[in-house]
Amino acid sequence: MNAVALVKQVPDRNSAFRPAGDWIDESSLGYGINDYDRYAVEAALALKEAGHAAETVAVTAGPADAGQVLRSCLAMGVDRGVHLITDRAHLADPFFVARALADAVSGLDAGVVLAGLLAEDSGHGQVGGLVAGLLGFSFASAATGLHFREGRLEVHRELEGGRIAVVELRLPAVVAVQTGINTPRYASLRGIMASRRKPVERVELSPPAGGGGLRRLTLSRPERGASAEILPGSPEEAAAALVPRMRAGAGITFPGDAA
Amino acid sequence: MSRRVLILAERSETGITDASYELLEFASRLAGGPEGVSAVLPVGDASEAEGLREVLPAGELLLVEGPALAAPTADGTAAAVLHAREASGAECVLLPHDPTGWDVAPLVAARLGTAAATAVSALSWRGDGLVARRSAFLGKFVQEVEAPGLPAVATVERGAFPAREPGPALSVRILPSPVGPGDLRSRLVEVREAGAGGVDLTAADVVVAAGRGLGGPENLDIVRELAAALGGVVGASRAVTDAGWLPHELQIGSSGATVSPKLYVACAISGAIQHLVGMRGSRFVVAINKDPDAPIFGAADVGIVGDALEVIPLVTKAVRDSG
Ligand SMILES: Cc1cc2nc3c(=O)[nH]c(=O)nc-3n(C[C@H](O)[C@H](O)[C@H](O)COP(=O)(O)OP(=O)(O)OC[C@H]3O[C@@H](n4cnc5c(N)ncnc54)[C@H](O)[C@@H]3O)c2cc1C
Repeated sequence: MNAVALVKQVPDRNSAFRPAGDWIDESSLGYGINDYDRYAVEAALALKEAGHAAETVAVTAGPADAGQVLRSCLAMGVDRGVHLITDRAHLADPFFVARALADAVSGLDAGVVLAGLLAEDSGHGQVGGLVAGLLGFSFASAATGLHFREGRLEVHRELEGGRIAVVELRLPAVVAVQTGINTPRYASLRGIMASRRKPVERVELSPPAGGGGLRRLTLSRPERGASAEILPGSPEEAAAALVPRMRAGAGITFPGDAA
Repeated sequence: MSRRVLILAERSETGITDASYELLEFASRLAGGPEGVSAVLPVGDASEAEGLREVLPAGELLLVEGPALAAPTADGTAAAVLHAREASGAECVLLPHDPTGWDVAPLVAARLGTAAATAVSALSWRGDGLVARRSAFLGKFVQEVEAPGLPAVATVERGAFPAREPGPALSVRILPSPVGPGDLRSRLVEVREAGAGGVDLTAADVVVAAGRGLGGPENLDIVRELAAALGGVVGASRAVTDAGWLPHELQIGSSGATVSPKLYVACAISGAIQHLVGMRGSRFVVAINKDPDAPIFGAADVGIVGDALEVIPLVTKAVRDSG
């Protein structure tokens, strides 16, 4: 059985995003792997290292340049990649994406499928669960721990208020991981060199054929009722203007204040 | 036109959860009145829910009953919701946007051949579908999406609507569980309560919180110095504690500590909803961020748009000079 990681290419977190039409202006963005998915990849690698998976496979759906995120997974140590090639705009519908991923996963002899809890851009937070639902696999979201016990998977799920649910899943299973579940490794130079020889299978997806799950309509900046007073001027001037406001607003004195 | 909406109700020690009451209110508005709302409650045995019909103000309460549902699981709850959906004919299924909803909504949606609209704060009917207002880019933008077909599935943010007052259900139906214990692929082993945290952030008058935008642990000294100048303690966003720059006890937010100091200074923190719920009760909030669109400015009283690495030492100096 194999450990499969589902990964998504997302716009670089530090880019300046501008809403445009039904999405953001994508004309001058950098892209990289979704942060949550790095933890999914690490979890897949750890399963193989612990002898619970024969092979690790990373799967992504995205445009041609999304092959970049598969390369970074291979450099981290994943054995091979599957790239489901589709227009970036088609990623708008999580159902379309999940169906394509489920088709791919069904041919991979997956024991455990790891997904990130959510993507930093669209934030739908359900592709892993949809894949589980479509394939009839077990599912647990918000995982902060993963252990094998007698052929079953024990998952720690983060609940609210710091509580943890311990659940046991039959295999095959999909687990959507929370950040912090592990410490994702960085690619070593050797890993990067080795990744060049690792195989990536490319599959062209047919465009969505009507129906489907969700359609984008608009994207906008939220209206903020009471927003912060932004202090103008140079950084020095802003810093100086801040101090009396903090004193008055918080109603406290600071350690260095004259008694 | 009257519509039928199904919500998942969840039990708490004292009755049903606050999130369930919010869903009831949300659903009632969407259905055009409480009569149009069905609530499903998965139970091991219907007798457990005896008192609940008096406090669950839905048009109908559907108790899906069977030993497989005695403890909640993703697939058990999803099966109960789908069963109740069919029995009620609901055109929309609402779940809480919380760990239960994240588990259950995609399983329900997949079976209905659709995706769920998640992190939703408003819903309206449009033709044979629904339009949802939701949060995207970790709270930076609001998005409208259309679910073009019915039945639709959505997870609703906490606080999107006030909670409905408890009241009696108009009718109750008991449905036998469609799944037996052997059918389930998951089992709840136990729920562990939160361990007591080491550092008491909650007692501090001043919290200076470090975010991922500081770039690395090597830049945290400027935050420590500002905290010292203000007589406060250092806290952090989850991105910072997950990366190991600071210990987990210092994390503020929905999965960390809730603080309500007199002064909260957010340094290079974007202001994701999960962070905001942990510091909203602060008396005065300062945000330092290079991105004028960062949601943290919507939760702050005063902000400086700029490079935190440059601004923070200047603020520290200004505080010291002002004493
Ligand atoms: C179930 C769940 C629970 C969660 N629980 C929590 C929780 O308890 N607490 C929590 O904090 N998060 C929590 N999160 C994560 C949350 O969604 C965010 O990912 C997290 O808060 C982001 O941390 P951040 O603001 O430090 O980082 P980022 O979102 O990466 O923001 C960094 C910010 O720094 C700014 N910046 C970058 N460089 C500079 C610079 N040089 N100067 C000034 N500004 C700069 C950027 O503009 C950006 O706004 C949770 C998420 C989930 C799904």
